[in-house]
Order: sequence, then structure tokens, then C-alpha cells
Amino acid sequence: MRNATLPVLLVLASGIGGVVLAQQMQGMDHGAHAEDTGELIWRMPPMDPNMPMLPGIMGALPPVGPLLPGFGIDPMDYPPARPREILDLADGDEITFTASVVRRMIAGKHYLMFAYNGQYPGPLLRAPTGATVVVNFVNEIDMPTTVHWHGLRLDNRFDGVPEVTQAPVLPGGTFRYEVRFSDTGVYWYHPHMREDVQQDLGLYGNLLAVPPDPDYYGEVHREEFLILDDILIDERGIVPYGDVAPTHSLMGRFGNVMLTNGATDYRLSVQRGEVVRFYVTNVANARTFNLTFGGAPIKVVASDLSKYEHEVWTGSVPIAPAERYVVEVQFDEAGMVPIENSIQAIDHFRGEFYPHVDLLGQVEVGEDVVERDLSEAFGHLRENDDVAADLANYRRYFEREPDHELELALEIGDLPLTIIQSMEFEKGLYVPPVEWNDTMPMMNWLSTGEQVRWILRDRATGRENMDIHWSFQRGDVVKLRIFNNPDNLHPMHHPIHVHGQRYLVTSMDGVANANLVWKDTAIVPVASTVDLVIEMTNPGDWMVHCHIAEHLHSGMMLSFSVE
Amino acid sequence: MTAAGVAFAVAALAGLGTALPAEALPGVPGLSACSVSSMGPGAPYYAVELVPTGRVPGTRRARGAATISYAHSPFGLSVTPDGEYVYDLHVEFSGLPSTSGDFVVWVTKADLSEVNAVGRLDGEQKIEARVDWNKFLVVVTLEAATEPLGETWNGPIVFRGMSRSGRMHTMAGHGPFQAEPCSKYGY
Repeated sequence: MRNATLPVLLVLASGIGGVVLAQQMQGMDHGAHAEDTGELIWRMPPMDPNMPMLPGIMGALPPVGPLLPGFGIDPMDYPPARPREILDLADGDEITFTASVVRRMIAGKHYLMFAYNGQYPGPLLRAPTGATVVVNFVNEIDMPTTVHWHGLRLDNRFDGVPEVTQAPVLPGGTFRYEVRFSDTGVYWYHPHMREDVQQDLGLYGNLLAVPPDPDYYGEVHREEFLILDDILIDERGIVPYGDVAPTHSLMGRFGNVMLTNGATDYRLSVQRGEVVRFYVTNVANARTFNLTFGGAPIKVVASDLSKYEHEVWTGSVPIAPAERYVVEVQFDEAGMVPIENSIQAIDHFRGEFYPHVDLLGQVEVGEDVVERDLSEAFGHLRENDDVAADLANYRRYFEREPDHELELALEIGDLPLTIIQSMEFEKGLYVPPVEWNDTMPMMNWLSTGEQVRWILRDRATGRENMDIHWSFQRGDVVKLRIFNNPDNLHPMHHPIHVHGQRYLVTSMDGVANANLVWKDTAIVPVASTVDLVIEMTNPGDWMVHCHIAEHLHSGMMLSFSVE
Repeated sequence: MTAAGVAFAVAALAGLGTALPAEALPGVPGLSACSVSSMGPGAPYYAVELVPTGRVPGTRRARGAATISYAHSPFGLSVTPDGEYVYDLHVEFSGLPSTSGDFVVWVTKADLSEVNAVGRLDGEQKIEARVDWNKFLVVVTLEAATEPLGETWNGPIVFRGMSRSGRMHTMAGHGPFQAEPCSKYGY
């Protein structure tokens, strides 16, 4: 891997063939397509027709082969997936969990995708906080996989990280997980192998650790679970993935079809005046959403592993991949309330921001007024003394010097010269704090982990990614400073996930966080410096990584152990 | 010196430097006389360089910097329901000359379609404001001390700067030319 500051070498490399030029794409209409002859080959990803393409990359293809599980099989040969079911579980319960191929219908078309227990999303596992449930996992897809129980502080053996905590579960294989619902809150599960494919095709679902205290959250009329996702589809179906390595390594694979709970037509019917608690999870490979409810005030109650110190009002919920937020909304006007992703997208060619809105679902508010009026409770913002009391034990760590410092960086290899040139124009000028949309779909698609290396760099040792291994003692409280260095060809935000422990984001860019919450995943915007205080309570070997699936597979991970 | 202090010092040098030839500033490797403070090593990426216009005597020697940080938010970064970032803007000067008027800070959208008066600089030549635009200008003008502030400025522009997003790359735009000396363009 070369450093991106060696353009001459990169010129040579791109000419030699880091990317396949596509003479074989003759006859393509906006990209090759040979499914009709039974052969899967690349076709260009769908693009905004108003976005001009760099001439030098016209006809280029990723340097890996295409992969589409189930390609060539008639979806109608498989059973249809069914909507998620809720499994109410008790301590000691045992369930079977099967990953398999299913038929899904998205926007009126059938696709072969994956599912846990034949459901989209996977079943909601609901158990009391502190309960342990045995999950007997069966792998019936044609890829090795594991299940990671994201955010739960469970026994290290069951964390689902291949070659770290367990061997991959091969096709036809099984694994017995003991899932401890460690902390009250909402969590999710997903594969920890080729997430860019398996998770994207539907392998995800929620877990809810039910609070022991019925007054843990405020009173609401109902609870709903929103899993936000997107998928990349063109007129011929799901756009293939990379076979030996993911494509879209620069920015991650953004979808062009939005899914809420796995569907394009999410709808909720409520009575006028209802207060709904939404458990929101972002399972997209790369997309950060800015969630809105038709302009209604949103009460922010909790995030990954705890409630906030105090509840706050907000107008939207920016949520990065793998984050969760618990929010409450009152629907007090009859009519349709859109649930939207409302962002300022970027047109790099014009150098402009422009407003962009995706419809994620709708809430139909009826004329009938709900029987119990919770307006007063909803209008009150709670101070959570229990959270504050817990946090008091950690405040002495906030101001001390960091124990470790990470720098987030990027190295780029033999991408096509035009892409390098384009990014060099951009270097040092401006990259937004967050990439809300795929501003360069073709360039992004061409990049794989063979050309792009995303880096976690230990500033003290210079070690990078899996060459880093930190050791801690159980009970240590560790301050980690993360700087997202903008000085590279394409800086990007990163949602950083710490396995098996919980952490606080104590400051961003030197500004102290005045409303803390326990997290396992948090966003580090471009050029920002974020301080985390991590409580090391859970022994074992664990990971820290970016939760953009393609960045993870481009190397952006490290390990640490707690003795 | 804190990071903010370094940023302020670098910004100040850059501001002073507009009167100098377009060459590296003493002690600031890589920064030309009009290259931007926010691009200096260790400086805040999203700082706003404030460039003197020279329209008011004595102001070229003043030093000014504007920095932005995310407004408090439960999500770390802060955005509006429309997706615009929400920043706390901190503007600080030193060495502004005594005048018969007040130095007033404004923020505007890049196309001047909306203008907000941030306010008059206080005795410490500082002011803070909330900005929820992705791309904006910071404008400092000299206004009559006795007049209420209008919808936009009336006095001469003394300093002006653009948010970092003003440098967003365009294929036909400023990208390849960002290192050119600003003296070429008359300031």
C-alpha cells in the first residue's frame, strides 16, 4: 500500500491495472448486464443523472469480481419472508435462530435476501435486564457468518467476532450463544463477517433489555421499533457486491432505496394525542440519517446503554450506523405525519449544499382522541438522578490526560488516476463533517479494500489497526482521545464502536459534553477530536472499529484485552 | 499555549500578513501571506479566517479570528431538522483601533440572501453567536454607535471571512487554485 502523496506512482499503478477497464462492457446500457445469459458481471451503480461523470473513469470496473448471493435462482423458489415477530423471553430461555435465504418484496419487486428466522427485520428479542438467553444459531446461508450482539456487555466467548472470540460458523454449521441482556436499553444483532453483504441483505434485528423499574422511562401510549436502512438497487435488481473484498471502500455503500423495518412503506396508525416511544436503530452500511417526524418536537430520552442525564427537546435525530436513540413524540394533529431523512446533500461538482428529503414512513393520526391524555407528562423533561449518580463515579477521569490517542487516517493505493486527481483538488479545501449522501457513486464503487486502507493509528507507537493491541485490567477507566485527521485525500466521519464495554463521550473539540449518556458507538466528524471515557469491566479480547461496513473491511479496527 | 491560542495566533499572523508579500510567513511553515489560518497544522479545521479590507485606517494591524464548534446536542454533532449544522461562533479581535463608531459582527448566507446581526463587539473585542447555516460569511463593519442596527450593515466592511465550506471543491472552481496569492485578486 502506497501513501497517497505519491501521485506519480499512483499514475503508473492505475495504468497498470489496479482497476479493470471494461472493454467487455460493450453493449451496456448504463453498465454491463449479463444476467440474461446466466453470468453475473458488473454493471455501474445507479447515479443521479444530473451528476456528470469524470471522463477518465467511464467504463472502469472494481478490481474484484461481482458477488450476489442467490444470483440466477428464481426468488419464487424460496419462501417469502414475514414481518418481525416479538419474542418475549425470560432468564434461562432457549431459542433457535436460523440465518437463511428468503424471498423479499421491496417496492413491488421480488429479491432473494437473507433473514433470521425468516423475518425482516429479525425477531425482536425482548427480555428483562439481567436475563441470559441461550440462542442456538444455525447457519443456512452459503457464506460463513457469526452473530454479534451489538452493545451488550456479554461474555466474551459470545461476542461473535470471527477468529477473535469464535471460529466462523460455516454453511450448515451451528453455534450456541449465551446472550446476556446486560444493561437496560435497545440493542441489535448482526453478522460480523462480510457485513457489507450479509447485513445489507437483511441479517439484523433488535434486542430490548426491559427496565426493572416501570418508571424507568416516562409514560407513553405505545412503543415502536424503527430500524433504518438503505439498499442499492437498480432496474435489474440488487447491485452486486465485491466477491473477495467489498466495493465502496472510500465512503461505504450507500443505498438508494430507504427501508424502515425492512420495508419501503412503513406506516403506523395512532390516535390523536398519542405519545409514542420510538426505539431507533441505524443498521445501514454507511448512511447517517437525520430523522424527523414532520416537524414535531422530539423528546430525546436515551441512547445506546442508558438514559441521558436529562431529557431534551430536539427537532431531528442524527443517527450514525449502529447507534440507537430512544425518543418520544406526541402526535396531536389528525392527518399524515411523514417520517423523513432530512439532510443537506452535497453536489461536489457545483460545490453546493442542497436540501434532500427521503420519506422513511408515515404516521397516520386519526381524528379520535386517545383516551388517556399524557400531554402533561410528555411536556415535562425528566432529570435522571440515577444516571447522574452513576456518572459521579467517573467525572474525575474527564479532565485527565488521555491514556491512549488514536488518529483516524486513510491511505489510498492504485485507484484510477482521475479519481486521485479529483481528490487531490479537494485535499486541504473542505470536506463536510458528515457525508450524508454518496456524492461520488462511481468513484466510491470502484474502491475496494485492496486500494483503500482506513486507519486507526496509535499516536504513541505509530502502530496501526490490528497491529495495535492494548491491555487493561478489569475495573480500569480509560480515557481515549480520537482525532479524525482531515489531512488525507478523502477524510470522512467514522462511527466508532467499542465492543463489550460502555463509554462516555466527554467532550468534542474541547467542549465538554453537558448531557452524558453511556454509549457503545459514537460518531467522530471530520477534523473533530472526541474524548471517550471507557469503563473496562468486561474481561476478554475485544474490538474497536469503525461501523461503516466497508471501512471495517478496509482495515479500520484494533483489539484490546481486559484481564 | 492551547490549541485555540495557537489558532488565534496563526490567524492573527495571517491577518497581519496581508500587507506582506505573498510568501511564507515567518515562523509559520506552509502558510503563505494569504493562505488561510484554518489550514495551518494544528489549527481548527472549521475556523474562519477574517481578512482585513483596509477600508478603515488602523484595522490592518488588528488581529481577528472566528472559530466554530458544535452547539450542544445530545448527538455529539448538532444539526437542524433541515440538516444544516448548528455551530457556536466565537469571534475575537485584538488591536482594533479606537473609532467614533462600533465594530459590528454580522453573519450572512454566502449569497447574501439572509443577513443576521450578531452584535457589537464588546469591550474585550469578543462576541459569540449561534449559526445554523452550512455555508456562511462573517462580516465585520464599522457602524455608527448611536444608530440601532438595521437589517444589514450600513458602514464599511472592515473584515470579512467565509466558513470553511466556502472552499468546497468544484471541478471548474477554486480547487486547483487555492494556493494562489490573494494579492493577485486585490487584497
